[in-house]
Amino acid sequence: MNEQLTILELLDRYVKGTLSAEEAADIEKRLTEDESFRKQAAEHREIANALKAYGRRVELKASLDVLHTDLQKPVVSLPVSGWRKYKTLSAVAASVALISIAATLWTTQNIRSQQNSDYQELRRTVDKIQKTQSALEKDLKRKPVVAPQFAATGFLISAQGYVITSQHVIAKADSVYIQNEKYGSLKAVVVHSDPVNDVSVLKIVTPVKIQSVPYTLSEDQADLAEDVYTLGFPREEVVFGEGSISSLTGYRANPNAYQISVPVNPGNSGGPLLNKQGALIGMISGVQTQAAGAAFAIKSTVLKEILLDSVLDSLQAPIRLPKTNAIKNSTRVEQVKKLRECVFLVNVYKN
Amino acid sequence: MYQTDFAAVANYFDELILAEIRKNNQAALGELYKTHYPMAVHLVCSNSGTEQEAKDVFQEAVIAFYERAQQPGFALTCKIKTYLYAVCRRLWLKRLSEKRRFDVSIAEGELFEGLEDEMDEVLQSEMSFERMHESLRALGEPCRSIIEDFYIRDFSMELIREKFGYTTADNAKNQKYKCLQRLKKLFFEDQRKGK
Repeated sequence: MNEQLTILELLDRYVKGTLSAEEAADIEKRLTEDESFRKQAAEHREIANALKAYGRRVELKASLDVLHTDLQKPVVSLPVSGWRKYKTLSAVAASVALISIAATLWTTQNIRSQQNSDYQELRRTVDKIQKTQSALEKDLKRKPVVAPQFAATGFLISAQGYVITSQHVIAKADSVYIQNEKYGSLKAVVVHSDPVNDVSVLKIVTPVKIQSVPYTLSEDQADLAEDVYTLGFPREEVVFGEGSISSLTGYRANPNAYQISVPVNPGNSGGPLLNKQGALIGMISGVQTQAAGAAFAIKSTVLKEILLDSVLDSLQAPIRLPKTNAIKNSTRVEQVKKLRECVFLVNVYKN
Repeated sequence: MYQTDFAAVANYFDELILAEIRKNNQAALGELYKTHYPMAVHLVCSNSGTEQEAKDVFQEAVIAFYERAQQPGFALTCKIKTYLYAVCRRLWLKRLSEKRRFDVSIAEGELFEGLEDEMDEVLQSEMSFERMHESLRALGEPCRSIIEDFYIRDFSMELIREKFGYTTADNAKNQKYKCLQRLKKLFFEDQRKGK
């Protein structure tokens, strides 16, 4: 025991560097000769160093904590200081961006109207009446009664209350109301727009029980010369139209659309296109103005893709598409009777 | 041209801070702390951490820098900011992975040579600190105070004898010996377990 104590004392002084020259020489000698002593010394040095480091760190940590409390004012996080630094620069950048956006919009608008001179989107403009009305009411200094500006057709695609229609109909809309005989007038919101394919998905927000959808989306491409029909609202009343598939591509050989020989008018946009079996094969989108009887419909395969994939980002739950075709074996009259309940007049309000 | 001037000024500032820190100047350490702390807060808080966690990570990095600075022959090979950012980033990523969050990506920023070795050392000394902390806690009083007084505060055995009221110097030495043996056991056993 006593021997151990002496060794410890020696090692302590060895680590602290307070050995006399004689003792130091003695220890060096023992270190080279005695294996177990060397091990003991190394261990002792390690723990003494670790203790020293521990002490230093505790002290440092304490002084850092003091410094930390000295940071009295709340920390200004970097983005704020960055903002200050680049305030003028970002103002300039923002105005440049605004100008270029405006210029781009203006030029593309021009190009668009030139390009589409012989293609007409089939929304119905309802503002004629409104103009005369507002002229009358100007004198009275009263706000004119708001009438919808555009009207078109839309149809149910899911019992969850999803309705699809043409994108050009509801573009820049302030509010959208849909109506038909069965449900009356319902408010809807736009949940997804696909300007390229001219498809928009609406969701009915008025609380109402929606019946199940009797038709299904056709998975296959329609055949040339197949009989097709549509229901739509070119006027306030629902109108039936029939014809056949005249081409498997649309306007300017668009592979996502059919050309159909169904008589359509402004207001037919967004109407469903069904075949003899009551399967949905497309949605009416527009006509070619310089060719008689050439209307176009977006293919159901494209619609399906949009409804199942593209929409997902903007929805909480995926759309459940109808699975069974309840009107497959019905006569056309029976089919239309069922279909009528699912087709809506879409009223679009803008300011 | 301005660029180089800025760099020169920044370098000069860093060198100044480093020199003062080596002299144990608390004001310089405070300056360093104040200058770079917002960076750590931004780094941690914008990557699912709290300000408290930012403080911990940042202090760890500052301690590492401080210990580096105390080493003789240490010279700056990169900006202090670069050093602190890189160390903070790695420490925070490590904490996140301990929390089983792997979905975070933090901008790497500027790197400096020897970062890997530096991180090894930083983590090593942090671990050693934690281990010693645990061992001392487990050691209990009065052993802990005796050991701390002798090995950290460099008190003489005579002072310790008086402080703890031992009648003879031998008693005090005996007690210290027992305490150290226990501490060694705790510390090295923990180390073996750790490995």
